[in-house]
This record gives sequence, C-alpha cells and structure tokens, in this order.
Amino acid sequence: MSALPTRELGAGQVALELDDSITAPAEQLRDLVRMSDPALSELEFDRLLDELLVRVKGLLGVDTAAILLYDHPTNELVARAAKGIEEEVEQGVRIPVGRGFAGRIAKERVAIFIADVDHADIMNPILRQKGIRSLIGVPLIVEGDLIGVLHVGSLVPRTFDLRDLSVLELAAARAAPAIERGRLLLALEREHRNAVMMQRSLLPGKLGRIAGVTLSARYLPARDEVGGDWYDMIELRGGQVGIAIGDVVGHGLAAATLMGQLRTALRAYAIDGNSPSRTLELVDRFAVNLDQQAMATAIYAVVDSDEGVARIASAGHLPPVLLSEEGEPRVLEIPLAPPLGAFRYKQCPEAEVQISSGETLLLYTDGLIERRGVPLPHSIRELVHAVRGARTPEDACLMAMDRLVPQRGPGDDIAVIALQIDPVDDVLELELRAYPTTLARVRQTLGRWLRGHDVEREIAAEITIAVSEACANAVEHAYGPGRGMFTVRAEQIGATIHVSVMDQGQWRAPRGEHRGRGLKIMRAAMDSLDVRSNERGTEILMTRGVNRR
Amino acid sequence: MSLARLKLAQEGPVVYANLRGDIDMSNADELRSELSAMTPNSALSLILDLTEVDYLDSAGIHLVHRLREDLRASGQRLQLVIPEASMINATLRLAGLDWRDDTAETADAARAALEHS
Repeated sequence: MSALPTRELGAGQVALELDDSITAPAEQLRDLVRMSDPALSELEFDRLLDELLVRVKGLLGVDTAAILLYDHPTNELVARAAKGIEEEVEQGVRIPVGRGFAGRIAKERVAIFIADVDHADIMNPILRQKGIRSLIGVPLIVEGDLIGVLHVGSLVPRTFDLRDLSVLELAAARAAPAIERGRLLLALEREHRNAVMMQRSLLPGKLGRIAGVTLSARYLPARDEVGGDWYDMIELRGGQVGIAIGDVVGHGLAAATLMGQLRTALRAYAIDGNSPSRTLELVDRFAVNLDQQAMATAIYAVVDSDEGVARIASAGHLPPVLLSEEGEPRVLEIPLAPPLGAFRYKQCPEAEVQISSGETLLLYTDGLIERRGVPLPHSIRELVHAVRGARTPEDACLMAMDRLVPQRGPGDDIAVIALQIDPVDDVLELELRAYPTTLARVRQTLGRWLRGHDVEREIAAEITIAVSEACANAVEHAYGPGRGMFTVRAEQIGATIHVSVMDQGQWRAPRGEHRGRGLKIMRAAMDSLDVRSNERGTEILMTRGVNRR
Repeated sequence: MSLARLKLAQEGPVVYANLRGDIDMSNADELRSELSAMTPNSALSLILDLTEVDYLDSAGIHLVHRLREDLRASGQRLQLVIPEASMINATLRLAGLDWRDDTAETADAARAALEHS
C-alpha cells in the first residue's frame, strides 16, 4: 500500500494531493453514468445516484458511501443519496460549507482522509453513531463550480491508498457532470411541472353550471413548455354571464405567473360590474403598472341572454367565431384595442353582437390555429372549416381540438371557451349551487322561461317571487358551510305552472317573523304549496294557474 | 351589472338614499349596514327611495323593518318612496304588508311629508 501524499489540515484531517499520473480502473467506471433519457424524472435521478454509490462502494470495499449536493442559496451541503448511512438522507442532513468533514472538502476543494473518526472534527453525528472509523471524501466539481461532495467510510480503521483515492476521484469526475446535468434537467422539469400545475390550478377545472347558458372549455399545455393562456367564466349579477380568454406573451413559469395575475385582475374588475371595454381598460392599467414586463391579448365578453346580446371588447386578440343554430360559422369583426400592457389605453372599443339562443360564441387562443408559415387569415379559415356543423359549445370545442391540434401535441398552449344561450325548453331544469348570489340567476332564467310560455307579466312576477323565496330557503336553511346543489324544475301542464325546488338538506321550519314571511309570500303568490321533507332532502312543490284569478 | 346600486346624498338634516336593482338575501345585509353607517346621528331622517328597485323579497322587507327600528331607536325617521306602479308593491301585497303610513309616491312628496311632520 503506497502512502498518500498529504498536507496537514489539523483536527485529524489531512488533505490529499492528487497526482494526475496515477492510473485508475477507468473501465470499471466507464458505464457508471448513463444519462441518455432527456426526460429525466426525479426517480431516475435518484436511481442514478444510488447506482453510482453502489459501484463506488463495491470498487473500494467500503461500508458506507454518500453524496451531498451543494445548495447555493444556503451555502450548505444537503445529503441527497447514501448507502450504509441512509439516515443522512432520511434526516435531511445539512452541512454548512467550511464546517466538519464534508464542509471542509467543499470549501478547500480537496480530498480529505480521516483515519480515526474519534479524533476528528466531524459535524454530522450520524457518522459517529453508525460506528464509522475511517472516512475519505472528494469534492464534485463541474467546470470549476462546486456541486457537492462524495464520501465513503469504513467501519474498521483503514488507510486509503492512492488506488482508492483515484477510484474515488474518477468516480467523482465522471459523475459530477452527470449529476449536474441531471439536476438541471430536474430543475427544469420541476419548473415545467410547477408551471403546468399552477396553470391547472388557476383555470376553472370544471366550468360551473350557469343557469340559462351552456359552456364548454379546453386548455392544453404545449408539448414542451407551458405558456400563459387562460380562459374564464364569470357569473355576473343581474343574471349576465362573462367569458374571457387571454394569452400572455412568453412561455414558462414567468408567463404562467403573469397569466394568473391578469386573470385575477380581469375577474375582479368584471365581477365589480364593469363593462367589457372598461374591464379591459382597467386590466391594461394593471398590466402597465406591473413591475415585470407584461403583455397579453385578451377578449372579455358579457352575454345577456335576456336581451340576446353579447358585448365584446378585444385587446388585440384573435376574432371570435359565432356559430348559428345550424352550425354555420361566422368570424366576428371586433374593433381592436392594443394588447394589454403595451401602453395605457385612452379608450377600449366595444362591439355589440346579437346572439340568440342556439347560437354559439367561440373564443380561442392562437395556439389553436397558428402554424408556422401559414398566414393568419388562412389559419382562421381553417378554424371556421373545422367547427362548421357544431351545434353545441361542447361540439365546437371538440371539433376544433380534434381537427386542429397536431397529433404530437401543440407547439403552443391552447385555450378555448364556447358559450351558448340555452333555448327556452318545454321543461325548465336547473341545477344550481346553493349560494345567495344564485337567486338573481334563477329569477332571470325563470323569467325568461315564463315569458317563453306566454305567462302574463304580473303572474310571472308573482311566480318568480315565490320561486326565489323557495330558493332562498334552500340556500339559507338547507346547507352548512360546505354548500351543496339544489334544483329548480318548472313545467306547464295545461293552464298550470308546476314548480319544484329541491335540495339535499334538512327542512327547518322557518324561524322568526323574517323567514316566516318568505313562506307567507310563497303561499300568497301560488295556488298550492307543499313541502315534502325526508332524510334525503326537502322539496317544495308549488302550482299556479296562468289565467287571471 | 351589479345587483343593486346605492346612491346617497346629504340634504341638510335629511339623508337621501336611492336604491336601484334587486334586493334579496345576497345583498340585503350589506345594504342595511351601509345605509346605517351613512346616516349620521345628526341626521333627522332618512329617505329611502325604492322607485328604481326591480325586485324586493322577504330579505328586503326585513332590511326595511330593521332599518326603521334602528332609526327609531336613535330618534330618527324613515321615509320610503314607492310609486303605485312599483314592482315591489306586489311583494308587499303578497306579504300582507301596508307601509302607506311612511311611504310617498315621489322623492319630493317624501321631502314635503318630512317638512310638515
């Protein structure tokens, strides 16, 4: 066994000085590192480190082996993989650079050998607890940057020779770039995953059902990275519905974050009851005042199903498509404001478009239609062709995605949202969330349905009051903090309107003068009222003749 | 687009409040606290103009009752404005309520009623 060239570091540690001429069993390490799969997952990264440690352990005949990775923000080493001393990783051992055995290796960037652990300055108690007597470690360095430390240990006192050291050095030299590359890929993958996760969490997972309209939407991330596309649906007071779509310039986590901010801003301004043009003016002001560079195109449309009108404002976004009841598509020419965040608007234009029941309004982002080298008007024509024949929002989304998204996944992310005003059905059936704000929508939809059935205005008003009171009862009494759903069903049989309001809560007799008044109003407004309650829920059944009393 | 809008004006010893839109359980509490907060102790009365209210339910009736009680407790008076043709008269009729004692047809009639009381 040849003596190692050393220099004293004190505290029982010696730094090892390497001689380049030492030959090492390179062939044994040749296939140590295989990193062919570019889509390295966390699991694969850990497996790579594990395999590396197993081989080093076998080659050196040692009892323990560990890899600690350098964490730049904290200037610490973090145990990432270990054999024989798995506790290091399990306990998440962190060693400040410069302190203890591994910390000194990292700071001095030299190999360190400890012949007798008992007499050395060692920070990590696990090393002692495991009964390790001798240790040797080397820094992991890539292009001059420290990325971690690799160390091995022996449970019996042992002197490491030059061959041992060169094996360790070679392992470190071979492994370091792979570890670094793996770590980078992992970081990228994490960013992508985080961005996709965030994107997902920000988009309404399932579009809530809004009475009187039918909605469908899609979001598809790009095959390589996320972008900043979003869609949104906003239930407005007074029974109107807002739909929005937007596309932040750029990709990755930054674009996704910005998307979240703009989407929230638009939503907040929209809920406040601002018109589409005013909403985009406010979002633009918001975007201009953001710290980071922010640019996005967007459309915000407010649909009033009672009036049969959509008010649409566009900040440099692609034109909406309106499909007739028969599925005949037409591109809507909406006057454009500049993209959001480009500069502060003076005024955003707004268009008013007639939209009757059965017609479908389709908004989309450029990921759906843009193809390299294909002029935009041509791409829009392709979209028109793709959705021709779609009679429902779901059909429109389905046909657009099916016919336009490349098989290998989109190059850019895609958001699509489609809305249709429901025709007035023979039987009105609504399933609603038990929130107080739902009542206005019930009144609006029921009002439309009653008008559609030629019910006289005053009688319709009284029926509406009674039904709204019944719904208020479901909202107020039927549910705890969790909230639930309730249903409203209305049907005309002969000259009588039958209405049922059903929830899954327990009926509680109205308490106090205030709630008792609601019941009184219902009784007075309707010809008959029947409350049926069992353990599954409560149903209020009401009838009212449509002929004058 | 907001369900209801509230506009307030101080007219000497009278606070004039104009409500428009729908009043139901989703906004009645909010509106009552706003109305109470905006009627200072120094005011003698509050005119609540419901001319432009399109819908009023039992929660809205409750709002008016509570507001009237609150004001009475501090020695103030509530004067309502509800025209004969108002949609909310249907609700009041169904609820069997008669508010004619402190209701005027127009805002000006309400102001006059307060002056002569």
